[in-house]
Amino acid sequence: MSHQLGRIVSQILHRYFGEIVQNVGYDLFIYGSKSINMIVKTTGLPRTRIVDSLRTLLKFDLATFESTDVFVNYKLLPENILLLIRYPRYLLQMKSKYGSEAEMLVEELLQQASCSATVLIVTVMNKYKDDKEKNINMINLKDTFISLVTAGYIQQAPVAELNEGSEAPILVPVETKVPELDLRDLMQAMANNLADVKDNTYWKVNYDRFHLDFRDDLMIKAITRRIDENAGELMRLLLEQMYLTMAPWAAESCPVPAVELRESARRLADRPLLQQHVDQYLRVIEESGGEFVRRCGDAGGGQYAVCARRAAERLLEALLDHCVTERLGSKAHRIFRLIRSKKYIEEEDIQKNAMLPNKECKELTYKLLEEHFISVQPMRKAASAGGTAKAIYLYHVKIHEVAHTVREMCYRALHNVISVGAHMRQSHARLLDKQRRVRSIVHGMRVRGEPQDNIDDVLETLTPPELAAVSAAEAKLRTLAAAEIELDRALFILTCYFAYPR
Amino acid sequence: MAGRGRGKVSSSSLTHDQLQALGINRGDNTPQVLAPPPLFPKLEAKPLPLNCDAATDYMVIVKDQFIEYLHESPAYVKANTRTDGIERYSDKYKLLALDAKKGKILNCIWDNMPPELRPHAGRVCVTARKRKLNDPTDIAKRLQTLEKKETQESADVDMETTEANIKKENEDNEEELEDEQEPEEEIDDGTDYANNYFDNGEDYEDEDDNLDDGPVY
Repeated sequence: MSHQLGRIVSQILHRYFGEIVQNVGYDLFIYGSKSINMIVKTTGLPRTRIVDSLRTLLKFDLATFESTDVFVNYKLLPENILLLIRYPRYLLQMKSKYGSEAEMLVEELLQQASCSATVLIVTVMNKYKDDKEKNINMINLKDTFISLVTAGYIQQAPVAELNEGSEAPILVPVETKVPELDLRDLMQAMANNLADVKDNTYWKVNYDRFHLDFRDDLMIKAITRRIDENAGELMRLLLEQMYLTMAPWAAESCPVPAVELRESARRLADRPLLQQHVDQYLRVIEESGGEFVRRCGDAGGGQYAVCARRAAERLLEALLDHCVTERLGSKAHRIFRLIRSKKYIEEEDIQKNAMLPNKECKELTYKLLEEHFISVQPMRKAASAGGTAKAIYLYHVKIHEVAHTVREMCYRALHNVISVGAHMRQSHARLLDKQRRVRSIVHGMRVRGEPQDNIDDVLETLTPPELAAVSAAEAKLRTLAAAEIELDRALFILTCYFAYPR
Repeated sequence: MAGRGRGKVSSSSLTHDQLQALGINRGDNTPQVLAPPPLFPKLEAKPLPLNCDAATDYMVIVKDQFIEYLHESPAYVKANTRTDGIERYSDKYKLLALDAKKGKILNCIWDNMPPELRPHAGRVCVTARKRKLNDPTDIAKRLQTLEKKETQESADVDMETTEANIKKENEDNEEELEDEQEPEEEIDDGTDYANNYFDNGEDYEDEDDNLDDGPVY
């Protein structure tokens, strides 16, 4: 709940839902929890607009409500607003893992926020039925939907329950049951009007499942880069075993006997090296795999546990290292690493151990201190004999606090990126609009098969200087968007770290 | 002794020795800078280039599509635009586009929403009935008229007058209702789906006022 978070949240709301929702959202962010009447008072917006914005916020799960006996209080969920930026990543994950049908389903579901299975499938079907390239059919869509539900990417939306006395419902999460969809019903719904469909089970995207995927990918990728692909594959097997026995966000998994791992490795036909050397690989991962895996017993040929929390910490440390290197250079990074490995260290020892010239070392240390990457703990010697009580200054790294600092940095950078993008879009609005119009006209002409000369005529309405300006602006916008995605990756590592309680 | 020594240290700033330990020599004191730092400081290190692969391109496109979809959908809340009284050629098209959007309401699961957000008429009747019953003077009046009605049952003429009374009273009630709805109409600007539905917040205001007067003992 920091100032930077408020700024970025309001910026995101502005980009996705417009100015009014931004005002309402920011108002809710500042005051915590509020009723409609209070929002009307502080924002000075017309009541209907506020109602509209609250509907939007509630629909996309960006706010919750809570009813007292007199009125209903609304509360913003800033974490979910930040997830709006991650939507493209979810879709990419779906496309690469389950193919384009899953992607279409999840995309539609993200757009609708929550809807019933029938409506979802029929809308996707209607949307793409003319598209010959996609070539989708109802049976495949239905099967994909069911497999997504089984895998937990889609879950049942909470159900409203009326409580006595007040009219506002209370949303109760329900356990997801794999639905049985009848193909005949779906066909009928397709033929008839969608409004008549009576399907009261609503579904929504389960973000957490995606986050687990991202975390696993991060861990596997880290091991792969550190050791080799076979080790990465073994890490995947370990994680699979972990899911069988433990809650997915548990700090440490149950011990997995090496025998089981050997058996599941044997099933992988394409990795003969891994099959031969499972034990050796396990040992290498344990010893130099960044403490992702811990050997915790000798029974059954050795037992191994996945330390997810430690892994998150290590990933965070890598992120912090990267941050320090890019901001202050590799020498500062050396000092940072040194302080972290020594826990508490005096200034003179930093100079000795970092092997840097005295002055430069001090300068960098103070710079690190200034940017809140390290902290200092003064220790006074009690009752020293001389008149000047000499104090010792111990430098150390408070990982949790540094993580907060870096998160604030990310928020600030994200805010800057989005606002620069918005400004750029606004200042080139006319040109971008024109370009889009030309494109759509040309597309229409191509479809109709008009002669090339006419198409060229239309294309020439964009003059060369205009074209240059537009393409420069577009390139910049693309860079900004890519930066946004990268920042979101960094934020994901940070949230992963914060997901494990200290 | 010790206490005095400690007090001395804490009261003054760093001693010469300490300053030297921190790496500040006598000549090192830089002149004070009084100007505010620049709004956009120069980057000391050039940031790394972003990797632009197919996956990033795909994500950028998907993001833009999603934003576009939201801007077209009723989730994007727009203020009612006021015209400046000058007719323009483009007005026709703009209005057409606006009208197409205006009729749409956000498609939500209304059961999961608090009642004050649902686009639903007919709740006014409920509140009105409640209000009639709640008002004790109103009940007393009604009882009186009914009593009168009972006692004067024999006389037809009287009966008519009481009936007239009741009618009149009903009208009064309706007038009251209308009064209550008036401010709401001022707030609502043109959209009709939410017109008769919302509690206009007067109750809340009243209560608030009472609270301001002080607690009731």
